Amino acid sequence: MTRQVLKKGIKRGIHFLAAVCFLFIATAFSSYAADGTVQVQLDVKKAGPRAVESLTERGVLRDYQFAWTNMARAFEFSSPDLLEGAFSGDAKQELRQTVSSQQRSHITRRYVDQSHQVEAVFYAPEGDVMELHDTAQYQLQILDGDKTVHDEHVVVHYIVLMTPAADRWVIRELQAVPQF
Amino acid sequence: MARLLQFFSILSLGALFCGVCGAQDLHAPSNVTAGEDVALPTSGSGKATFYLAGPGISQKNDVTLGEEIRLSGQDLRYAGDYTAILCSDTCHTATFYVTAAKPASVIFLVHPSRVPVGQNDAVSGVAFPFDQYRNLITVPENVNFQLSAKDASLWPRSIRTQNGVAWFRANSGKSAGPVQAVASLDDLSAKRAVQQVASDPCNLRITGQRTPNGILVQTEPVHDCAGNVVPDGTIVTFTATGPNGKGTVDAPVKQGIARAKIESPGTSVISVASGVVMGNEIRLGAQP
Repeated sequence: MTRQVLKKGIKRGIHFLAAVCFLFIATAFSSYAADGTVQVQLDVKKAGPRAVESLTERGVLRDYQFAWTNMARAFEFSSPDLLEGAFSGDAKQELRQTVSSQQRSHITRRYVDQSHQVEAVFYAPEGDVMELHDTAQYQLQILDGDKTVHDEHVVVHYIVLMTPAADRWVIRELQAVPQF
Repeated sequence: MARLLQFFSILSLGALFCGVCGAQDLHAPSNVTAGEDVALPTSGSGKATFYLAGPGISQKNDVTLGEEIRLSGQDLRYAGDYTAILCSDTCHTATFYVTAAKPASVIFLVHPSRVPVGQNDAVSGVAFPFDQYRNLITVPENVNFQLSAKDASLWPRSIRTQNGVAWFRANSGKSAGPVQAVASLDDLSAKRAVQQVASDPCNLRITGQRTPNGILVQTEPVHDCAGNVVPDGTIVTFTATGPNGKGTVDAPVKQGIARAKIESPGTSVISVASGVVMGNEIRLGAQP
């Protein structure tokens, strides 16, 4: 009898612990999803003249997502080193300049709840450059120190040029345009 | 009477509220070109803080309401979206786009650097026009592509950019030698070189003779089907079939001719091949 009560108690304890762990993990995950994740959907059906192979599609998707995640962190923490690896050429130079300008003015930007609908519109015959059209949506927050001076949900159209590097695709041009 | 008083009170409060609303405002320009100076008119009076966040810039300044805020072309040299914010009691925002200036350079990618002659769609080129601030020009522009060899134009074509890019594919020419690829836009141009090399060997022919040490075989000058001498280093395979079996020797082409020495004492049949191309066969008698 005593043993059964003890067993029941242990069982309940385990269930309680499991529930607490689940709640903790779920909370952590949802807060990460709200602040840090970058949702990217890539459509390569209209890309040409070269067809985009599935392995390339996965690589571009992964590296584009990585680039936006790092760019958002670079702007949020005014840390130019976070731009390394994902950007190259003019795009990298421009973004580094933005971050160094932020460091001087103590202004930071946050791109929250990012969602990107990306379409590949051009893939060069030799596969050495790809042009993407990204309709991005996010909450743009501009902060002066700790004070938020701007907080708005925006939809921005980006023209992107990506090129393959040694082991990944890098962004060479990232330019917002009024419309495609 | 009481209701009338209430109505006027609400009206005056509303007017006061609207007065505060209109105390400061910021007007965004409708069309800005990269590198151009811009003035943003403001309304209201007193001091305010102005913020500008855009590509390449994060700026904060104290300004006087009612006066224009001047932005230098240097601050607006990158094409993209800019957010201008004016804060005193509250913050007002205006967003505007900066578009690329006129073309100042053409990025031109051509592949491959070496191409065999007589191949379909073997040469391709991609051109992107950029302005002086390295912004991609997305409005359509006509790019003239030209392939020329020895001052003779092989392939002129004008292609309009779409989404900021113009591209072509072309067949390679008939003669080996350097080809110049040019992409030009207005008075701008970018040049690249492509080396056309001979294609696969054609009409392989060999001659051979016995020597005291074996058989010496050599090709006649190796050409492709268009008559271009194949490049040095092209591998030619000689095969000797004799009483002792079959033996093969690979030899590179040097100055148009491949040579090999084969040890085959009995009567031998020598054949030749290069890649998938077969040549003639010769029969040589046994060693005396």
